[in-house]
Amino acid sequence: MATMIAENGPSTREQPEVSSPSPDMLKLEGLLNKNMRIRMTDGRTLVGLFLCTDRDCNVILGSAQEFLKSTDTFSQGEPRVLGLAMIPGHHVVSIEVEADSLEDTQGYGADH
Amino acid sequence: MVMKSSVEDDDAGWGLGIPEKMKNNANWVDITHEFKGACKELNLGELLHDKLFGLFEAMSAIEMMDPKMDAGMIGNQVNRKVLNFEQAIKEGAIKVKDLSLPELIGIIDTCFCCLITWLEGHSLAQTVFTCLYVHNPDLIEEPALKAFALGILKVCDIAREKVNKAAVFEEEDFQAMTYGFKMANNVTDLRVTGMLKDVEDELQRKVKSTRSRQGEQRDPEVELEHQQFLALFNRIKFTRLLLTALIAFTKKETSSVGEAQKLVVQAADLLSAIHSSIQHGIQSQNDTTKGDHPIMMGFEPLVNQRLLPPTFPRYAKIIKREDMVAYFGKLIERIKTVCDVINTTNLHGILDFFCEFSEQSPCVLSRSLLQTTFLIDNKKVFGTHLMQDMIKDALRYFVSPPVLSYKCCLFNNHQAKDYIDSFVTHCSRPFCNLIQIHGHNRARQRDKLGHILEEFATLQDEAEKVDAALHSLLMKLEPQRQHLACLGTWILYHNLRIMIQYLLSGFELELYSMHEYYYIYWYLSEFLYAWLMSTLSRADSSQMAEERILEEQLKGRSSKKTKKKKKVRPLSKEITMSQAYQNMCAGMYKTMVALDMDGKVRKPQFELDSEQVRYEHRFAPFNSVVTPPPVHYIQFKEMSDLKKYNPPPGSADLYLAASKHFQQAKLILENVPSPDPEVTRILKVAKPNIVVMKLLAGGHKKETKVLPEFDFTAHKYFPVVKII
Repeated sequence: MATMIAENGPSTREQPEVSSPSPDMLKLEGLLNKNMRIRMTDGRTLVGLFLCTDRDCNVILGSAQEFLKSTDTFSQGEPRVLGLAMIPGHHVVSIEVEADSLEDTQGYGADH
Repeated sequence: MVMKSSVEDDDAGWGLGIPEKMKNNANWVDITHEFKGACKELNLGELLHDKLFGLFEAMSAIEMMDPKMDAGMIGNQVNRKVLNFEQAIKEGAIKVKDLSLPELIGIIDTCFCCLITWLEGHSLAQTVFTCLYVHNPDLIEEPALKAFALGILKVCDIAREKVNKAAVFEEEDFQAMTYGFKMANNVTDLRVTGMLKDVEDELQRKVKSTRSRQGEQRDPEVELEHQQFLALFNRIKFTRLLLTALIAFTKKETSSVGEAQKLVVQAADLLSAIHSSIQHGIQSQNDTTKGDHPIMMGFEPLVNQRLLPPTFPRYAKIIKREDMVAYFGKLIERIKTVCDVINTTNLHGILDFFCEFSEQSPCVLSRSLLQTTFLIDNKKVFGTHLMQDMIKDALRYFVSPPVLSYKCCLFNNHQAKDYIDSFVTHCSRPFCNLIQIHGHNRARQRDKLGHILEEFATLQDEAEKVDAALHSLLMKLEPQRQHLACLGTWILYHNLRIMIQYLLSGFELELYSMHEYYYIYWYLSEFLYAWLMSTLSRADSSQMAEERILEEQLKGRSSKKTKKKKKVRPLSKEITMSQAYQNMCAGMYKTMVALDMDGKVRKPQFELDSEQVRYEHRFAPFNSVVTPPPVHYIQFKEMSDLKKYNPPPGSADLYLAASKHFQQAKLILENVPSPDPEVTRILKVAKPNIVVMKLLAGGHKKETKVLPEFDFTAHKYFPVVKII
């Protein structure tokens, strides 16, 4: 567990003055590099690694893949590879993570 | 374990790697609310991120839902269903048999427009492959359409192969990606042309059977049908001729180039008939219920939207049908010109041909065809001559070096042979590169010309060494002959040509500001053209020396006195033209200096740079050249200092001097025996400038603060000066 945290590296460099991050913040940090599924306002869904966010909930996903909305029959199965993608906060409809990765995070949070 | 693998992924970069663990059955948990809540705790501008991921990486992310970056959102903006070929057939949205004549004509014309748009630099996915029929011609039951679809695919495939092979394109010229589409590779070229020919014959029978007979009452419906059959016939025939011409270019024999030329001429003959029958084809329907795009049966502009790379979306505007025929006309003209290259045998002639062809800014296909016609796969010029032999011929033609003369003892001396052969071998790559550079688009050419000077500087060095070695060898064998600066003169000539072209192209590409003109024209007139002319006259006298020796040898054998006929010197035309160019440049230089004296040249507020910085930047590529040595800014300032004259000339004197230069250029050009278009173009600039300079010398509008205008419409390199 401890090694995994070290590898993941909570981003302490940016805010060294924050001595004790809040539990919410730790949870958010725990999600870094986890697979995330984001639904956008136009119905498309992006799946990728959670890399970065800010106050306005703008999210950057790495190795992102684009899935069309489920109603679209054409080229349903095949996702489109997007790579690095930023989803503006106001276009984020829903955010999902895989259940097992959430457990890890909660475990991490509880340890402290 | 999962996290470990994702970290390794990260090490490889956040690019396009697909996470290995993409199970659909993964158990997704919604955390929207918590996530958004947690984000609120961040300060303004604060980023929560992995330690390996910073603002720098974040900059390269594409922004979703921004129409300028997100190609995927476009597909969602239309309400209609985007169907692929199979789906469209299943839904009955597209016909694969019993198409009407207007439908066929309309589809073919739209395909032609797509083909042209692709050739002009757009991606295949957004042009030709928006036509569903070409996705899988096997599914088409209508023979004419099937043959046409295969034909278009073959045309694309050969064009792509040619352009790739010639390698004279950049991102802005051409998109070679095929996105995994099959380019009719399962059918041979011969089979496709055969299918087109069969369809063509069938249509010709229909055309004949609907033709009006003498004395017959014409049924307007039959007449219309006749017109439509004829329109379709012409289109199929055009496709076949275009394809056959391109196939001819892939053959290795030089004779096939002539064949290609004949074929494109035949194709060109069909164009006016195609143009006048465009209205017979169906037009795209602007069905508002389906979305904003005009939709044409068989075409789906968005079908490949998801194949496009994750870069910013590029919109391919398909050209109009009315412009299609004109484009084909010009393309065929260019291909015809390309075919003429095989009639030029001299390397210098070929180089001039490439320069001249490039001046029309031709399309990437014709440029590539020219390259592949010049050097065929076997690395021989036109498939028959060795580049080394071409270079030797060029040397003979230019400086007649004794080593290459049959009458000289060096010709059969094996050591001399070794020297010259290794030199010529070393020349062949740079010269092939030089010719290839002229195949690039105009803007890229300039950049590449600057770089090739380095290669020529190395050659120059070698040429001088070989000259010296050959000279000492010759002194031992035939003391009355010399071998001084023969090869060196030839390389220097090419060096100077490249340098001149490099500077002049800056005018064409509108790179220079008005206040820079004076030192560019100075460098050209006082330096490069002066060197070029002395190089040419050295070559000329070297030729004459060689001729004299030949004559004497002849005289010794036959008592008959050879007639002293005044022969036209081979280089005289080039010497004359250089004189004219030099005078034009000198005239422009003096004009610019005088205008500056009168305060009529706007200068920038030099804050972070200076004139010296700009000057050095403009001539930077020349620093790699040893001969001629680069003129540094300080030297230039000293050499062009007007204070060294007593009394220093005023603006009026300079205007008058400029006028004389233009006058001189005019005189020279008017005496050129068969003037070519270039002569006429320069004259169009020289004549008005003589008058303007005389007026300015006389004090015309001396007080006006309005800046003069420089009009480059008559000539790319020399403007007509206009005082308003």
